[in-house]
This record gives sequence, C-alpha cells and structure tokens, in this order.
Amino acid sequence: MTVGLSHYLILSAALFGLGALAAITRRNAVAVLMGVELMLNAANLNFLAFWRYLTPQGMEAQVFVIIGFTVAAAEAALGLAVVLNLYRDFGTLNVDEASGLKG
Amino acid sequence: MSSLTILGAFLSLAVLTLFPAVMVISTRNILHAGFWLLPTLIGVAGLYAMLDAHFFVVAQVLIYIGAILVLILFALMLTRDVMNPRAPQHNRLVTAAVPTCASMAALSALLLARHPWPTGQPEAAAGAHDQTVALGRALIGTYALPFEAASVLLLAALVGAIVLAKAPQTEPPSAERIDCTGGEK
Repeated sequence: MTVGLSHYLILSAALFGLGALAAITRRNAVAVLMGVELMLNAANLNFLAFWRYLTPQGMEAQVFVIIGFTVAAAEAALGLAVVLNLYRDFGTLNVDEASGLKG
Repeated sequence: MSSLTILGAFLSLAVLTLFPAVMVISTRNILHAGFWLLPTLIGVAGLYAMLDAHFFVVAQVLIYIGAILVLILFALMLTRDVMNPRAPQHNRLVTAAVPTCASMAALSALLLARHPWPTGQPEAAAGAHDQTVALGRALIGTYALPFEAASVLLLAALVGAIVLAKAPQTEPPSAERIDCTGGEK
C-alpha cells in the first residue's frame, strides 16, 4: 500500500476540522487565532498535495501556497494587534465576554 | 525507499500533526496550547518534505514557526495574567461544535477518499535547486501580479497592525494651547 493523494486529503480534512473546532469553541481570542492558523495549514497542505500528484509541472499551486503564507502572516499580525486592543479595552481576552453591544 | 517505509513515515507525521492539534483545542493552559502548536507545524513541514516541496519546508519553518508562532506566544505572554486556567476554556457551543466539525471532517474525508484520483506515484519531482529556481522565475514572470498583490497585502496589514497596536494618545496639549491663545485674543 503506497501513500497516495487521498491520504493527504484525508489528513488535511482532519486538520481542518480540528482547526475549525478550535476557532469555534475556544474562548480565548489567541486560541481562536491558532485555530485559524491550523485551517490555513490544512489548505496549504491540500494545495501542495494536489500539486505533487496532479500537476507536478505547474506553478499555480506553489504560488497559491505563497499567497496563503502571506495571508497567514498578515492575519497573525493584525489579529494580535486586535488582541492587544481587546486586552486594553476590556481587560479580558474571552471573546464571549468582550461584547460592547447589547445581546 | 520501500513503500512500507514511506507509509510508516506518513503515519508518524500524521500523528505528529494531529495529536498536538487535539491538544491545542483541549488543553486548559493557554500557554501550553501555544506550545502544542509547534509539533503540529513541524509535522506539516515534514509532510511538505514528503511531497518534495523543498522550498516550502524551509518557508514553513521560517514563517510559521519562526514568525507566526513566536508572535502568538509573544501575545500570550503579554496577556497571560488575565487567563485563569481554572475558568472554562470553551464556550457553550462545544457540545454542538464537536459533532458538527467531526462530521464535516469525516464527510469530506469520505468523499475525497472515494473520488477516483489518478493512482500511482507521480514522476520524480525536480531537485530542490531546480524547483526553487523555477518558482522564483514564475514569481517574477508569469505570476508577478499575484506576488505583488500579496506584498501589498502584507504591507497594508503591517501598517494596520502598527496603527491598531499603538497606545492610544492622550489629548495633544497643543490643541488646548491654541484654543487658549485664541480666547485671549
């Protein structure tokens, strides 16, 4: 039994599910960011698996992964700036406590 | 390498990736969750190596581990004192979210496994040097526009992060002074 494309796809589906779970259920804003990073990693893994097994001569998947890395870095930088502001304004990082509006 | 070796390497990398991801979700101490992210990212880098994506192994270690994870740990340590490890770490959605995410992952895994992908190993990838040269040429040639768009996105995000994270300024005293002199005159 050899490792095929479907192995990678199943693994990244599991990783995406775990990331989504972290983003939905964790109360800490930084942990939500970690979940988003896990989901982005799963997407990048999918891109590279498709590149390797289906279009090894093409460049599109690698360019997409580079853009994915850029988006992850931008998301981390902006997210942590928002987290610091949240900490300063509310004194908490729990996303369910930091609600300025009613409801 | 025999196919059994490759399968064993894949399975151990899968465990190295998925088990710490479970710990990221379930551990109570938020700082430990940040540190559990490290083996997950290393596992993904190992999977990139198995896919012969040499450049992205280095990029994963440099960008995800060297930059993003350090940034996350930095923010955790700046705000650590508000996190009481005895307080609940999950919101009340957890009973609904676990089956939903599990069934989503299982369903997509099932569909992806049943799809008739072309079987068999692909031809050997180019060496690390040739691959990186080709990627660099593509980034300044055919794909220059997406590359520049990513650069602009990164620049905008960095400027925005600086503006957001800057300490709120108190009222500039100069405005008051101008008002006073204006009143006197």
